[in-house]
Amino acid sequence: MSPLPKRTIASLLAALVALPIVAPMAALAQDEAAADVNLTVWSWRPEDEDAYNEIFDVYEAAHPGVTVEFVPYVNTDYNNILATGLTGDGGPDVAQVRSYGGVQPLIEAGQLLALDDKIDTLGNFPPLALKSQTGQADGLVYGVPIAYQAFTAFYNKAIFDELGLEEPQTWDEFVTVLDTLKENDYIPISTPAKDNWMIPIVMDAIGAPRYGGQQFEQDILAGKTDFTDPDYVAAIELMNWLLPYLPEDVVGVSYEDSRALFLNELAGIFLGGSFEVGYWRDNGPDLDLGVFEVPAPPDSLAPASVVGWYDGAFGVNANSDHPDEALALVEWMGTEEFGQLYTEKVKQLSAVPGTTPEDPLLAEFGELFAASPVSYLDLVDFRYGQPTGDSLLRDGIIAMWLGEKTAEEVAADVQAGISQWFTPSGE
Amino acid sequence: MAEAPTPRSEARSASGSGVGRAAPPRRVLLVFIAPAFVLYTLFLIYPLVQALIFSLFEWKSTVRGDFVGLDNFTELFTRFPLDEQLPRAFIHNIVFYLVTMAVMVTLALLFAVLLQRARRGRGFLRVVYVLPYMISPLVVGYIWSLILNPTFGPVNSVLKELGLGELARPWLGDPSLAFPVVILVNAWYYLGFPMLLFAAGLAAIPEDYAEAAEVDGASTWQVFRHVTFPLLIPVFGTVAILTFIYSFNVFGLVWALSGVDGGPVGTTDVLGLLFYRTAFTGGVNAFGTASALAVVMFLAIFGVSMTARWWFGRLEEGLS
Repeated sequence: MSPLPKRTIASLLAALVALPIVAPMAALAQDEAAADVNLTVWSWRPEDEDAYNEIFDVYEAAHPGVTVEFVPYVNTDYNNILATGLTGDGGPDVAQVRSYGGVQPLIEAGQLLALDDKIDTLGNFPPLALKSQTGQADGLVYGVPIAYQAFTAFYNKAIFDELGLEEPQTWDEFVTVLDTLKENDYIPISTPAKDNWMIPIVMDAIGAPRYGGQQFEQDILAGKTDFTDPDYVAAIELMNWLLPYLPEDVVGVSYEDSRALFLNELAGIFLGGSFEVGYWRDNGPDLDLGVFEVPAPPDSLAPASVVGWYDGAFGVNANSDHPDEALALVEWMGTEEFGQLYTEKVKQLSAVPGTTPEDPLLAEFGELFAASPVSYLDLVDFRYGQPTGDSLLRDGIIAMWLGEKTAEEVAADVQAGISQWFTPSGE
Repeated sequence: MAEAPTPRSEARSASGSGVGRAAPPRRVLLVFIAPAFVLYTLFLIYPLVQALIFSLFEWKSTVRGDFVGLDNFTELFTRFPLDEQLPRAFIHNIVFYLVTMAVMVTLALLFAVLLQRARRGRGFLRVVYVLPYMISPLVVGYIWSLILNPTFGPVNSVLKELGLGELARPWLGDPSLAFPVVILVNAWYYLGFPMLLFAAGLAAIPEDYAEAAEVDGASTWQVFRHVTFPLLIPVFGTVAILTFIYSFNVFGLVWALSGVDGGPVGTTDVLGLLFYRTAFTGGVNAFGTASALAVVMFLAIFGVSMTARWWFGRLEEGLS
């Protein structure tokens, strides 16, 4: 065997000397690659994909090694897709979840992480916001609220100006506005009833002051009253009073029709939510719109109010492969930075206090709700069992409009349905 | 009249006389049956058994809880307003079936007979009649909901233009009109399918029979009544059973026309919609209640279909 050349020996020695230095560096590089985490966020809002991608770009810039992938699904199938995804592998790390009764199946199935002792930014939210994500059984919070919605009256300023109308401050002025619109061949209030989900919200927008608003909510939860209360019946009866001011054959009018009537300036007022603002801006950019609080009707037990509710949250999948990174992302979603980005990019009212929408109309909704809030009762408190309060009320009100039921019978049906699963705290 | 040989009698005579090829070995038969059997088991039997098992448990979203026996079935029949909605939807499905059969089978048979006699445009007209059936029921329902829209729809606009404004209606919003309108739209959509079956049945009847009857002095009506119609009984049986199964599974068309609640005030509610609501907006135990409903629906459809098949079989034998 011939001896090794000097140059080879030198190279081997150099390699031996370099090894202790190079090896840890290589291992370090390997660790860095392993630390790259891709978080998936599922949502029911395909229309917000671009906005969320911009928001998550901000997060990724501040958190090197973490990428956030926004995966939206069609809204109507989302609950089922999410429930299936959370059951096995392949689910999201972070999921947009419904509020109130809508999130309870996921909580009871143990598919979401409780956030109480893991997320400091939960402290930024008021108790009403956290209620929307609280487990009925254990009282723990499972989601960081994203948005809230407020619901009251949009009006067409051009039509109001044409007829010399002002934003009504009293019930009498409200009635005068409606009568004037009707006399001038405008539909006073556009609202749908073929798509009937809006009916219970409209009832609260008009009738919550009549039945007592927040006080009634406290009393019914405590078992001091129920839905057959004469004041609640009177609020249902107000929907009968409203009927002549709605589009002709309203039970055949779909949600899209009702929006088209308002967009095409055939209707003066649209009772709707802050979630409509983006739609009006996109589809009727030239419409000059205003918003006013519906005045309290006669014999009201509470002052005029604006109906509202928290709408959606982000929760962490209990089976996530990256729970720490997912919790860090959700923690950030509770900050003012995220809230402000959300309201600017997604154009909704952020649930994070202290955030300001850019759109003045959206901002006005926020201000009106902050000044005189009242819960959308059937969603906030009576969607935790079957049948839900809103499903009973909307069917009942349509039956009343068609002359098949009285307001008392509608109220009795709501109470009969609810009492199968609802137990007041006082009992 | 001499008895026409049927495929069944031909098969009997072939095997009875020992003429023809011997039956293949059992394992060859199994190889041919296996693919269909596997698919059938996987996509029909297995889900059915799963639904039955699901219906006996309590569910928390997609996680199975305790065994609860028949509690989910009890809930289906006792919980307000399900206890009212279930029989109402069931009755609607029956009415839907009966009216669909009466309207659609009459028209389908009429068009099939007329098309058979048509000298020109037979192929074109057949495609035209079958075309709606080739479109998704959701699309058909959506298009008709636009046509019948009370505010912007062309039906009411045309009526108003013609000075018949008093006839304009909220077609899908009036409780007394909505269900008949849904059934008629469905008849329009579904007509092509039974028409094709009747056309195939008519084509299979040898022309000699009608010619022989005519030679004997039978009128056109008598030929139809005493020759063609009895020979179409098997097709009637097939159409009746398939339409029954279709009517009890109807969903997309009604959903697109009337919404998920089968409005107004549940006047167009059917079992398919009720199942959808129970399964997807039914709360924590939705899987349990919805599975129980699926089992009840299956038992009803299966039971009636088997009974109808037996009845039509007897009728067929009585005529042959």
